[in-house]
Amino acid sequence: MSLLVAPLAVLWPTAVIVAFADGRRRPAGVAAISMLAAAFGLLVALAVRVAADGPVDVLAGGWPADVGIRLRADALGTSMAVVSVFVVLVALIQDVVSGTSARLLPALMLFLALGLTGLFLTGDVFSFYVFFELSLISSYALSAVGGERRMTGGALIFAVVNLLGSFIFLIAVAALYRATGTLEMAAVAERAAEIDPNTAILIAVSFFIAFGVKLGLFPFHFWLPAIYGSAPTAVTAVLAGAVANIGAYGLLRFGAGLLPREVELASGVLIGLGSASIIYGAVQAIGRRDSREVLAYSAIGHAGYVIVALGLGGPVALAAAVLFTLVNALQKGLLFLAVDLRGPLVSAAFVIGAFSVAGVPPTAGFFGKAALFEAGVDAGSVAAVALLFVGGALTFIYLFQAYQHDFWRPEADGARTVAPVGARLVVAFVALVVLAVGLWPEPLVSLAGDAAQDLLQRGGA
Amino acid sequence: MTLLLAVVVAVLFGTGATLMLKPDLLRVVVGLVLVSNAAAFTVISSGLTRGEPPIEPLPEGRPVADPLTQAMTLTALVIGFAVTALLLALVLRVYATHRSVDLDALSRIEARTEEELEREELEHEEREREETEV
Repeated sequence: MSLLVAPLAVLWPTAVIVAFADGRRRPAGVAAISMLAAAFGLLVALAVRVAADGPVDVLAGGWPADVGIRLRADALGTSMAVVSVFVVLVALIQDVVSGTSARLLPALMLFLALGLTGLFLTGDVFSFYVFFELSLISSYALSAVGGERRMTGGALIFAVVNLLGSFIFLIAVAALYRATGTLEMAAVAERAAEIDPNTAILIAVSFFIAFGVKLGLFPFHFWLPAIYGSAPTAVTAVLAGAVANIGAYGLLRFGAGLLPREVELASGVLIGLGSASIIYGAVQAIGRRDSREVLAYSAIGHAGYVIVALGLGGPVALAAAVLFTLVNALQKGLLFLAVDLRGPLVSAAFVIGAFSVAGVPPTAGFFGKAALFEAGVDAGSVAAVALLFVGGALTFIYLFQAYQHDFWRPEADGARTVAPVGARLVVAFVALVVLAVGLWPEPLVSLAGDAAQDLLQRGGA
Repeated sequence: MTLLLAVVVAVLFGTGATLMLKPDLLRVVVGLVLVSNAAAFTVISSGLTRGEPPIEPLPEGRPVADPLTQAMTLTALVIGFAVTALLLALVLRVYATHRSVDLDALSRIEARTEEELEREELEHEEREREETEV
């Protein structure tokens, strides 16, 4: 069995079996964790192979080319899959260690990991949609588990808005199929140049709206604070650290990979929207008192950086977008996991996450921000560099406020109990990973560079 | 035929979008179902070609209708069905906890609970302050 199919083959049956078990019991949780860890190991092995030998291709079911559905692992897809599944894995571990309250949570996490792995590793536009829906439906259900009163309303808004985005995506897929006559991404990229420009712009705008909603970009962000503010800790971490990657990946894959001319045409709009997102997110975050809301608006702001990099274009900016997305997933996952805990290790972990988001060495976030700066300098855009600087400074202010509010006020500490040691260890481990990536960023940087090269080659073909 | 389908899709999508703007949650769900069907129709109409049925043995020399869009539409319909079930379950849960599916009423209830929570928090803080003073 190919290494490419193996993670899916591990996750699918486990998810189904665990769905029938009671996830609140420890054996089900442990089984889910171990199988998810196995899938993560396989993905890492796949990423190592992709980094060494280039993209891996598999045609499902041994069908001839053009008929079979193609799975394709390239640098962009595997790196996104590795980081996303890692965030899902640590969130699941933390949830199981601190005692799952929801029966279905482990199974839903597995289905989410399955959908994410599938959509990052598929080379077919329609199966992308299927995996996309699989992961999103799991995330809608996840956002509603736990049973707090005010949560269901937020979950419903989240589901309705994102479903509207999904259907717009489906309509765009149909239009793309009509215009190019194929669903295979490589073939679509080849034929995209021949699409009538008016049609191509419509298709590109539909994709942009669909993924903008997922990413929580500025004009499409309104669902995000409601759900990030109310969902359980592990679920919020997964939404911010794994599900949000779908939006960034989709914009890179469908924008820079399949419709590069339209992205170039819209670069002004992209940079404008991205800047608006960065400033709006940062200003709103400064005005919030609740740490979760601060982090939610911070997520909106950080979505803007990806769009600005996409708008700048070129190998340096695309590599920066990929690297920033990967690093951002890690640090946002860490912050959301840490924000509700108290006690030793947690505040240190939160500080590492906050420094990483602000871009202070030696954390992982430094390299994400540095790559963005490099992209701004490379494009010769003074405005982009100034924007990055202002955004970074504002990030520092709101995260320090949140830290001060949560960890320095003695009465806040006294009122809350110290979190179980297992949950704190998980958070400390993720913080160590963020530090380790910051100290040894070479693998991620080279994968991001490969991903950008791959996107540009396919777009240019 | 293309024009007819375009009109059908437009009407479905428009009706769905209008319903989604209503405060009644059930209407929102119905609106989403209509939008999902508009998307399914779009997928169907992306393969509007005239030809023989695509069944083996294929007719020689004559064009064959595109079978792929049918398969895609079926998949999209199944996904839409699952999503509808999930949304209805969520609405049911909202009804079970709040005894209402009207968004205006829900936000009123939510505002009241928020207020209560804040008042409790303030009282709690005051009590703590008094205790420390004593």
